Amino acid sequence: MKKYSLSHKRYLRNLYLKDFFTHLVRVLLLLAIIGLWELSASKNWADPFITSSPSRVVKQLVALISNGSLWHHSWVTLYETLLAFGISTLLGTGVALILYLLPFMRRVLEPYLIVLNALPKIALGPLIIVWVGTGTKAIVVMGILICIVITTISMLSGYLSVEKEKILLMKTMGASPLQILFRLIIPASFPDFISVLKINVGMSFVGTIMGEYLTSKAGLGYLIVYGGQVFKLDLVMSAIVVLCLMATLMYALVALLEKCVKRR
Amino acid sequence: MENLLTINNLQLIYHSPKSETQALKDLTFSVQEGEFVSIVGPSGCGKTTILSLIAGILRPTSGEILLANEKIEKPTSLVGYMFQRDNLFEWLNIWKNVTLGLRLKKSLTNENKEYARSLLKKYGLEEFSSSMPSELSGGMRQRVALIRTLCLRPKLLLLDEPFSALDYQTRLLVQDDVSSIIKSEKKTAVLVTHDIYEAIAMSTRIVVLSSRPGTVKKIIDLDFDPALTPFNRRKLKKFNKYFDEIWGLLQ
Repeated sequence: MKKYSLSHKRYLRNLYLKDFFTHLVRVLLLLAIIGLWELSASKNWADPFITSSPSRVVKQLVALISNGSLWHHSWVTLYETLLAFGISTLLGTGVALILYLLPFMRRVLEPYLIVLNALPKIALGPLIIVWVGTGTKAIVVMGILICIVITTISMLSGYLSVEKEKILLMKTMGASPLQILFRLIIPASFPDFISVLKINVGMSFVGTIMGEYLTSKAGLGYLIVYGGQVFKLDLVMSAIVVLCLMATLMYALVALLEKCVKRR
Repeated sequence: MENLLTINNLQLIYHSPKSETQALKDLTFSVQEGEFVSIVGPSGCGKTTILSLIAGILRPTSGEILLANEKIEKPTSLVGYMFQRDNLFEWLNIWKNVTLGLRLKKSLTNENKEYARSLLKKYGLEEFSSSMPSELSGGMRQRVALIRTLCLRPKLLLLDEPFSALDYQTRLLVQDDVSSIIKSEKKTAVLVTHDIYEAIAMSTRIVVLSSRPGTVKKIIDLDFDPALTPFNRRKLKKFNKYFDEIWGLLQ
């Protein structure tokens, strides 16, 4: 162990304290929100029929777990989300690559991409249902539509931002276009790929839940819509809590992947 | 001695939607084997353009470039190019960066690997073989970039302001390093720089260009003891004499 001076020890202690304090306040904030929520419901400051309450959410979750439907609904949503996430990431990255390799096509298609990006994809809902039918297929298509345009645009700008000088360097070393692609463009835009994954975690959930609002027989989005219609806000809140946990978990997995690859 | 590089009546016109720009006009000079030629000139006079043309990544509007009596039409492995920035690939370790060119040419033979390893060893980078570029200092990174170029055994090295991204102290040290590496590997070099001192410290000959369109204004042979390092050249009286001459030409 290295011996540190007194001032450095003090510095390290302050750093540690600051970190500790941040975490502490974070947890306290959560507890305060839950506590205040519970309190307002029990004191009837706000009608728990409308705002629900933490204890009612827990009760609802326990009920959902005991009749097995929580797993079913969570799994349906997770399955649809993962499908939309995977397909749109692959397709978007691929389309971006094609556009990168074909500058003429890129120039032609640029305004179309801009319009597609600006279009609220939910507007296509009725079309999707007519074209691919109701159920899982329509939901996954909605998820894909929401993710794919932003994936394509982000990856394309990632490919295009590879330094020109590095491309020249490859050329002076006699690299073929394919070698430039696989040894430079793709590895260099890996950080963009990770950030696309991070964006898509959120976007694919948006797409899936929106799809489930449109047409579904199961899933967390279904629970939310159903709960809203029959005024069971406990159910709505429970589904949202589960959704929060699932999205966080998926984001954490992507962050873990990033760490693993960076260390390699 | 025979000319390694001959440039004859080179012209280059750049086109843009609003105008055309004549970058080079009637450019003629030659470089002999073992020489270290620097090109200096006012900014925008097409210095870097000349290197791109020699490297074969740009085609001249007219005129020709001969390298070892062959006309240059596309990039060749006889020429190695060093840029202002080291352009190391951050996702590859030093060894993989150094052998990148060999991999591209699919010539990562044992002999070439041995050569790469010997270069790393000779220039004090062997222990960093498995380090990532981000762990190295700016000067070390530029040396790695030079070794990456040397691994392909080019006859002619093109140096495009390779020291200008370094801080002043490092720059003087790396100039000495690069100069001794080039000397001991018996390479021919063409250096483009806006730093007149650097040109005088490193070269055997200096080509002074006019402002755009760039053409040769004067070629100055430098008379220094070949054993002198760039740093030690700076201490001599004639160093300043050369500087005044070039400075005058550029005004």
